[in-house]
Amino acid sequence: MPWQNTSFNIRQKVQAKEPRIRLGLDTLLGLIILLILLGMATMAPSWAPFASAHSPVAINLDSANLPIGSLDHLLGTDYLGRDILSRALWGARASLFVGIVAATLAVTIGSLWGSIGALCGGIIDATMMRIVDGLLSIPAIILLLVFQSLLVPQALASRLPEPLLNLMQVHSYSQGLLPFVTVIIVISATSWLEAARLAHAQVLSIKQQEYVEAAYALGLSRAQLLLAHVLPNCAFILVIEACLLVSDAVLAEAGLSFLGLGLGPAIPSWGGMLAASEPSLIQGNWWAAMIPGLLITACVLAVNLIGRGYLGLTRSRHHQVVGQPGL
Amino acid sequence: MAELILKRTLATLPMLLILSLFAFFLMRAVPGDPVDVLVGSAQRDLAPQELREIKGEFGLDQPLPKQYLSWVLGAFGGNNLGRSYKDGQPVAQVIAEKIPNTIFLVGVALVLTFVIGILWGIAMSLFAAKKSMQAIASFLSCLAIFFYSTPSFWLALLALFCVAEWFPGFPVLSLHAPAEPQKNTFVYVLLPALILALRRAAKVGLFLKASLDEEWSKPYVTQAFSKGLSRQEVLFRHVLKNSLLPVVSLIGLSLPWLFGGSVLIETIFAWPGMGRLSVEAAFGRNYPLLMALVMIYGVCVAAANLLSDLLITICDPRIKETNTSTSSHAI
Repeated sequence: MPWQNTSFNIRQKVQAKEPRIRLGLDTLLGLIILLILLGMATMAPSWAPFASAHSPVAINLDSANLPIGSLDHLLGTDYLGRDILSRALWGARASLFVGIVAATLAVTIGSLWGSIGALCGGIIDATMMRIVDGLLSIPAIILLLVFQSLLVPQALASRLPEPLLNLMQVHSYSQGLLPFVTVIIVISATSWLEAARLAHAQVLSIKQQEYVEAAYALGLSRAQLLLAHVLPNCAFILVIEACLLVSDAVLAEAGLSFLGLGLGPAIPSWGGMLAASEPSLIQGNWWAAMIPGLLITACVLAVNLIGRGYLGLTRSRHHQVVGQPGL
Repeated sequence: MAELILKRTLATLPMLLILSLFAFFLMRAVPGDPVDVLVGSAQRDLAPQELREIKGEFGLDQPLPKQYLSWVLGAFGGNNLGRSYKDGQPVAQVIAEKIPNTIFLVGVALVLTFVIGILWGIAMSLFAAKKSMQAIASFLSCLAIFFYSTPSFWLALLALFCVAEWFPGFPVLSLHAPAEPQKNTFVYVLLPALILALRRAAKVGLFLKASLDEEWSKPYVTQAFSKGLSRQEVLFRHVLKNSLLPVVSLIGLSLPWLFGGSVLIETIFAWPGMGRLSVEAAFGRNYPLLMALVMIYGVCVAAANLLSDLLITICDPRIKETNTSTSSHAI
């Protein structure tokens, strides 16, 4: 196919013009922090299995509010005597999992929505983008609350088919993975809007390029055009957008769990730890609040540091002002 | 100017229409009417006649398009937004009680955001210019990036803890004690507004610093120096005015952000505002209340966008000729 060949050559040329990863000190720092957090997430099951003394959910009132540096509990315990270190490890797992999956989903939906709108043009485009504008005009946290109130796990569990429930390990005594599913749906349903806007702007500018015109003249359908030429050329920016959305999603999950609308008390997550730290704080246990907060900050900071090099170059991050959850 | 206001107001109408359609049909599509919320699983024991009566009382026995129309028209006309599922009170009245509190909190936070943010930005830029002060400048920058990455509800928790520990007399929670008459509200608003403002102030500071740095490299600055002006004089007479221009656009754009942030801050500080109301409504699946809140937030954000457009047009006459409906999203 001749067009495949051209597209390959042109893509190489366009990519050569795109900004390189600026491996400054701050980017490096961000990468290191992110790797540490990911490492925490992966080592959670081996360091603190559920059926051990370090279980993140085992309540032991005899060892409540132990300070940092205790022998058995390196980072102390909270007001119920749960080990903060193992909760932080498992929390990294839950929060990063939700963040990464929700951001990936959001960018996929958003870029399809935005680029289809931009390619179709006309009234379809206008309607699609007005929908995005309309939803973006509500503060994201309100949108999160709305979606979360619509997707109550218990009510959902009674409606879903049996095999799906088995897949998500939902039993009469536990909700299994269902809270993860609802929280991920809720967060990605809120944050795809920003990605849609970005993809829309990108595709509009790529559409003007001569090689797209040439490909169109070669007889490609719109779908082929989109998949073979347009999307690959905004992939770079969309991947960065996905990275930045991970930090937004981690914040959103923390905010939801903090309000008690997130993953629920049975699953340790950073937001849930913060929510549970209120009684600890009253008993003078500040480290139970300090550690999850610092971890959330570290995660957002790492992503911001990595993304900061690009912010000036690739996007004005305008939608952040409207779209980012106001946490 | 009047033409601009009219044009931008008209442009928000389709957006609000889509928002109202979204709010209405999404909430109606999902199971959960007052019968579910009020009686829960006990509805199996109720006679069908009683169920129908409860639904009729909330207007849920009408066809959907008719329900939508009466909802939208009610919102425009007699500020009738339906009744709360929780206690049957008119939604408009429930919200009207809370709006002033939220606006007060957000207003104070907005002022704090820009006072702190602008001072922060200027300090970073001034210190960075002097060799001996560079450590302070980078400290301030790091602090800004740190605060920009912090969830504000965490800061709020820690601030509550610190104030309660070290200044036991300082009133931190809620607007005022129930028995006490409403006075000194400013003292109560200070801490929540400060926490709400900090993250945004860090953004304004970083933004202003970038804008200042760009401005310093322009030829007119060299010219001003060659006239013999000191660094401070150049800054306050020339550079600052030009650098503040992009910051003005942040004022309107900060409002939706602060409204969103106020949800968690109000919950933590027991502030009786719209944000806390929305959390309660989401918990209780009180859909008429949530629908109305979504619309009110939408109107607030539309108004903020309009305000930001107007402010930029007033501050920068150059924009007047090229003003388009997209300017509100460009910074």
